[in-house]
Amino acid sequence: MKKIQLKARIIANKKVSSSHYRLILEQKDILRKARPGQFVHVRVNEGLDPYFRRPFSISRAQEHLELLYAVVGRGTEILSRKKAGDELDLLGPLGNHFCMPPKGTRNVVMIAGAIGIAPFFMLSDYLRDKNYELTLLYGAKTKTQILPMRSLKDNGCRVYIATDDGTQGIKGRVSELYAKIPIDTQKTFIYACGPKPMIDSVLAFAHPNHLKGQVSAEEIMACGIGVCLGCATKTKTGYKTVCKDGPVFDLNEF
Amino acid sequence: MDLSVKIGKVRFENPVTVASGTFGYLEKYHDAKMIKKLGAITPKTITLKAQEGNPAPRIVETPAGMVNAIGIQNLGVDAFIEQQLPVYAKLKVPVIVSVSGKSAEEFILLASKLNHAGVAAIELNLSCPNLGKKTLIAQDAKATEAVVKAVKKMARVPIIAKLTPNVTDISLMAKAAENAGADAVSMINTFSAMVIDVNTLRPKLGNFTGGLSGPAITPVALHMVYQTAQRVKIPVIAMGGISNADDALQFLIAGATMVAVGTASFLNPQAPYEVLEGIQRYMKEKEIKDIQAVIDSLIKE
Repeated sequence: MKKIQLKARIIANKKVSSSHYRLILEQKDILRKARPGQFVHVRVNEGLDPYFRRPFSISRAQEHLELLYAVVGRGTEILSRKKAGDELDLLGPLGNHFCMPPKGTRNVVMIAGAIGIAPFFMLSDYLRDKNYELTLLYGAKTKTQILPMRSLKDNGCRVYIATDDGTQGIKGRVSELYAKIPIDTQKTFIYACGPKPMIDSVLAFAHPNHLKGQVSAEEIMACGIGVCLGCATKTKTGYKTVCKDGPVFDLNEF
Repeated sequence: MDLSVKIGKVRFENPVTVASGTFGYLEKYHDAKMIKKLGAITPKTITLKAQEGNPAPRIVETPAGMVNAIGIQNLGVDAFIEQQLPVYAKLKVPVIVSVSGKSAEEFILLASKLNHAGVAAIELNLSCPNLGKKTLIAQDAKATEAVVKAVKKMARVPIIAKLTPNVTDISLMAKAAENAGADAVSMINTFSAMVIDVNTLRPKLGNFTGGLSGPAITPVALHMVYQTAQRVKIPVIAMGGISNADDALQFLIAGATMVAVGTASFLNPQAPYEVLEGIQRYMKEKEIKDIQAVIDSLIKE
């Protein structure tokens, strides 16, 4: 294996919302190579349960490698109990990455559902100070599950929030915020990451308006390196692996 | 230390290979220096025409294993010969090509295209559970015999029959393959399996059912390999959740001639190399000079 299987020491593993954790890792090789939209494949323990590694978007790569994750099952629950000083076995950075917006772009709109927000912290680090109007449309279940937005705001990003129960921002799905997207084929570029129904709503909005952009897809993964073909997702040009051909795909691939 | 083994007339430097479908074709992440160390590689099964595979989700995690229903997504034999075989030739690693056909005729056609020097052996995948067929070739001794016999007539490289554990007695199927002239059997393919999502009341796989692999099946696979090795004279290539050298040694001791690391690579991409190193360490510690002294060394009294 070409130096993608690496050990990482945990610097911190802190709860940052009612259901999310931020994992800060010491891993210089991945830190140096990582691009926004890429992920790492984490072995959460040494035994056979859970059997698969768990893929997480890289949420920031400044001084340290950072991951944000939601506790949704056994794997992430085990991960949430890891302490500073513990070591993790990682594969990464894996997958392709978000492209920079095409020439002529003025408005960059990031659309995030739930933990799908993770890669946008890093993407906004790349897009700041480049004369884009940065906007984030962010949907979450409820106020307590909203992640801290400071670094995004520091990067000059305007943030609009929708919650299912209306406890913060407007009440409803993130699609209620799509009116904020400037309909301009040349000047607007979209990045979307979130659950499948949200991606579908983005496509349903973008396609008739001829908007350009990229989406980060999600599937259950085994190998993470394009070998098992387990995470295949159907695109207009046939099945593609989310782990190696993706996770980032052009909007028009779906 | 001599780790070499033979399948038909072909000699492999050591008994460690990878199970088809778990190594891709040779992805950018693989390290050529490491791959060369393996006895052979076995790329994902190839069919006559390109196949797009099964709908998602294609995999589900289970205790100490996984159920998959990939559906042999592959680029077809012609593209494989054009794009992949030259890469393996350059690496100088022996390649066992796994093929799957819908009929004896298709197997013959596949074998005729691969019947040349760039291929160390051909594995007939008679046992993929994910192609929507009611009966697999390897579930029928007569059908197994017919396909192997037909391919053997024209084959110039060793022919290996890959068997399914979804039968009453797998050693009978191995015997049928041997009678038909197979140079080896590889076993076991995955167990038919399913997993249900209790919230949606639907199966967790797009294909409804799939095949179970991983450490969960290892002791069962071991028993089947042991029974079969007692019954046939041709070599057995063993697979079934092999994850480390201890697992691999158990299969060799039970009578297997080669061992293939499969699902374990998804968790630990180094697994095939760790298995090889572990076997070497074991032989060194026990002062065993020849792998033949390990194979079938089980004490039975």
